[in-house]
Amino acid sequence: MKGRQWLGTVALTAYLAVIVVPLVWVLISSLKTSPEIFASPWSLPAQPKFENYAAAWNEAGLAKYFWNSVMVTVGSLAVLIPVGAMAAYIFARYPFPGSKALYAIFLGGMMFPNFLVLAPLTDLLRRLGLSESLLGLGIVYVAFSLSFTVFVLTGFFQNVPTELEEAAVLDGCGHLMVYQKIMLPLARPGLIVAAIFNGLGLWNEFNLALVLANSENIRTLPIGLANLTMARQYQADWGSVFAALVIVMLPAFVVYWRYREKIYEAMLAGAVKG
Amino acid sequence: MKFVVAIASIALAAGLVGCNSTAAPEAKETTTPTAGGKLTGALEVQAFQGGYGIDFYQASAKEFEKQHPDLKITVEGGPRVWESLTPRFANGNPPDLTFPGWGMKHWDLAEEDQLVDLGPALDGKAAEGDGTWRESFDPQILALGQLKGVQYTLPYYVMIYGWWYDPEVFKKNGWTVPKTYSELLTLSDKIKKKGMAPITFQGKYPYYMIDGMLLPWVQSIGGIDAVNAAQNLEEGAWNSPAMVQATERIVELKQKGFFQEGATSMSHTEAQQEFVQGKAAMVPCGSWLFSEMKKTMPATAKMEYFLPPFIDGGKGDPTAVLIGIEPWMVPTEAKNKEAAIELFKYMTSLSVAKKFVQEKGTLMAIKGSDDGELPDVLKVPSKTLRESKAVYSVQFRHWYPALSTELENGLTSLLNGQLTAQQFCDRAEAAADKVRKDPNITKHKV
Amino acid sequence: MRHSKGRGAFIVAFLSPAVLLYAVFLVWPLLQSFQMSMYRWRGVSRNRKFIGMENFQNLSQDPVFWKSLQNTGMLLVLAGVVTIGLGVLLAHLTDGAGPVRKFARAIYLFPQVISLVAVALIWQFQLNPKYGLVTDLLFRVGLPVRDPGIVRDPRYAFGAIAVAFVWHALGFFVLLFSAGLKQISEEIKEASALDGSEGWHRFRHVTWPLLWSVKRTAITYLLIHILTVFALVFVMTEGGPDRGTETIVSYLYEQIAKNGQYGYASALAVVVFAVSMLASLAVLAYFRKDPTAAAGARA
Repeated sequence: MKGRQWLGTVALTAYLAVIVVPLVWVLISSLKTSPEIFASPWSLPAQPKFENYAAAWNEAGLAKYFWNSVMVTVGSLAVLIPVGAMAAYIFARYPFPGSKALYAIFLGGMMFPNFLVLAPLTDLLRRLGLSESLLGLGIVYVAFSLSFTVFVLTGFFQNVPTELEEAAVLDGCGHLMVYQKIMLPLARPGLIVAAIFNGLGLWNEFNLALVLANSENIRTLPIGLANLTMARQYQADWGSVFAALVIVMLPAFVVYWRYREKIYEAMLAGAVKG
Repeated sequence: MKFVVAIASIALAAGLVGCNSTAAPEAKETTTPTAGGKLTGALEVQAFQGGYGIDFYQASAKEFEKQHPDLKITVEGGPRVWESLTPRFANGNPPDLTFPGWGMKHWDLAEEDQLVDLGPALDGKAAEGDGTWRESFDPQILALGQLKGVQYTLPYYVMIYGWWYDPEVFKKNGWTVPKTYSELLTLSDKIKKKGMAPITFQGKYPYYMIDGMLLPWVQSIGGIDAVNAAQNLEEGAWNSPAMVQATERIVELKQKGFFQEGATSMSHTEAQQEFVQGKAAMVPCGSWLFSEMKKTMPATAKMEYFLPPFIDGGKGDPTAVLIGIEPWMVPTEAKNKEAAIELFKYMTSLSVAKKFVQEKGTLMAIKGSDDGELPDVLKVPSKTLRESKAVYSVQFRHWYPALSTELENGLTSLLNGQLTAQQFCDRAEAAADKVRKDPNITKHKV
Repeated sequence: MRHSKGRGAFIVAFLSPAVLLYAVFLVWPLLQSFQMSMYRWRGVSRNRKFIGMENFQNLSQDPVFWKSLQNTGMLLVLAGVVTIGLGVLLAHLTDGAGPVRKFARAIYLFPQVISLVAVALIWQFQLNPKYGLVTDLLFRVGLPVRDPGIVRDPRYAFGAIAVAFVWHALGFFVLLFSAGLKQISEEIKEASALDGSEGWHRFRHVTWPLLWSVKRTAITYLLIHILTVFALVFVMTEGGPDRGTETIVSYLYEQIAKNGQYGYASALAVVVFAVSMLASLAVLAYFRKDPTAAAGARA
């Protein structure tokens, strides 16, 4: 049994190395000059070249992409969470004829790949005058994130005990009042879970942004990053591409480290219960 | 409704002004080029921000505005500007003048009547001198923008394709530029013995090799006609003997180990970086190479152009040069066509073109723009072009994107040893046949 | 709250924003996708032409479509077996005390929250023939990976995509199976106390069957994510070498971005939709009944 334990630790350490080594390697490479990167993948920089970060942030336009990402992520969440919570509340506490079917249609959105509707969606945004704009992208993000949000929050609202609600009604609270005064505070953990999970997802979103918002001024970070290595303006400066990678991953890492318990919870909410 | 009326009257007014300007051109000839009539309103230009940037177009627009104070010009752009322009075309609100870059399917635009026929404008007076605007262009290059005789697009700068070497490195080692394929083989042997890779290439984007080796060698063996027969989708042209023999040369170089290790995986900048750092002796590329690499080039590195080595005994023209353009156009639904045309007329005037040549280090489609002292990097390409008896151009890539993709995929497999030269050409011919037989694809002719 | 005043109005007011957004920006385009698949449209003007089932007919004769479908299926099987297998194993390994296990539990989900583009770039760089860490390692152990380079080599490119995907997604499966194991740990104890099994035997006959709902989730997740795996392909291989890693979605993108064939792309989308729906239903049907209930393993 002891031997096996030891073997397990070795295997686990190997797994951790597979996760961590590439990340550390990216970090180290981001401080190297282009010739140093080419010389050997294992070498350390003679002198950490922090200019790579300045180059990525300013010259490669990451600063702009970063703020675009912040705006579209925060903006989408600001609409998504209230709208999703309201719908979830109805599904959880106000059954009506056909509500089950409607709920199922909402959940169906989790099941199908978003890439499939790109062509008509592009066309729709054009007609609405929203093509190539962060507003258009944000609205689409809200619509495509509703499924998961409604699903998770419905679960939370269902778990709130009915006694509280009944007491409030006896006190003369109307529907809206009950929702605001009783339900929202009680569902707060759920709202946080939904916000973190959607926030990470939207921060990283690629498929939709690539097609719906790809002009220079409104590009988000993932698209900007892909462009940095693929578009022709890329000036053979590998150190700053590695730096750009770090810049993209850093916010996700901070959020992950701070809220990882919540993230586990969010992922399981979407998994084991389903 | 009021809004619509307002728009309509503005459009009408703009149209009237336009008519006036063509009916009665002002005879105000000065040393600086003028565009004739009174131009008013807003003028939006969207331009591809490639190796040459968009600063020059912005500066030209400023100058033009000075001559036409009632005109308000905006020039914007980006490195993938076509991606935002495509929906604008579909939506009916394109810019007035545009240079949408290599990613735009501009022949689709032409076929769907989204582009203005610039022929009549070309027959008008040029911005400078006494001739027509048409006469200021090289006619062969002008033809690259025509479909069934209609001039849908106009050229600006001209790119020249070929190979590059570092003259310092060659001199140091006593190497001479290979004029023929057999010389290339001998030289590559020497280079390899020195521990240097003879040739590198942009393997991630196989069209560089198609333009830099395959088609030049088809031209060597079978002449420009052999290249154009393939572009015109003539039966058997893609697996003609010239095509197969040209492909066999690529296989031979691969088998002799003359290509740099890992080049098939390299992006354009990666491969070109290998070249400027002296890891590889030669690289096929267009005349934009210097401007693309100048930021990351070691200070000691030099680069010089030469024509792709000519296949010994071929019946083609050893002086023929492969050229390319990236076209400008005026959308049918542009709101200020007259001003757009006049602005571009101004931009293609000889004095402005000469300035572009000097500032950006590229050749232009405008006759006489390469007179006088040229930037160093341009001297040899310009001389080569002047001494050439014929030029040709790759047009099928924009005409038939599916054929182009198939060709590039086939080339990758050829380099990976999964196809023989004959199989590669047969596959290209099959792809050409598919295009030939598809009634929904508009056919073009060189 | 069942019969209180203003209930109907409240429902409408609370539900309509979500329903409206969902209907306009998701359901409606989806329906349009079906419609557009019967048109020819190049996306550069308003001209579009109704052509009935022609796009589908062409699709059925398009070798690249079949190739991409096959690649997607292969990726599903390959990545599926690896992630589920390793997921179960690592869920066991990360369970328990000690600094390594604690650190493992803290970090293993991180690759999951990295943008797929970043994941793709990390792997593209690691596999670079010139300066890639992994290329260097593999080369040192004697594999010919430098020429033409892993992502352009028909022998390795597909594996490279699969590895990058597994690196990104594995944490989720570990989490999933960890939670599953916790959930059933009481049942396992009871069941194995009854038949006295332990070790591999216990896992094979007790734990594994009890994980059925987790397996269902795992397979559904894989299905959706593999069907839409795009950023990895787009950044690492662009579908190459010679279609070797072309997936349905990367081919769909090519039709829009490179060929301007919006109708054909929509036809592709409809097929993907049908495939994903059928596959999801098949998974649901297969796991519909709790298999452990019938086997009597549940105490």
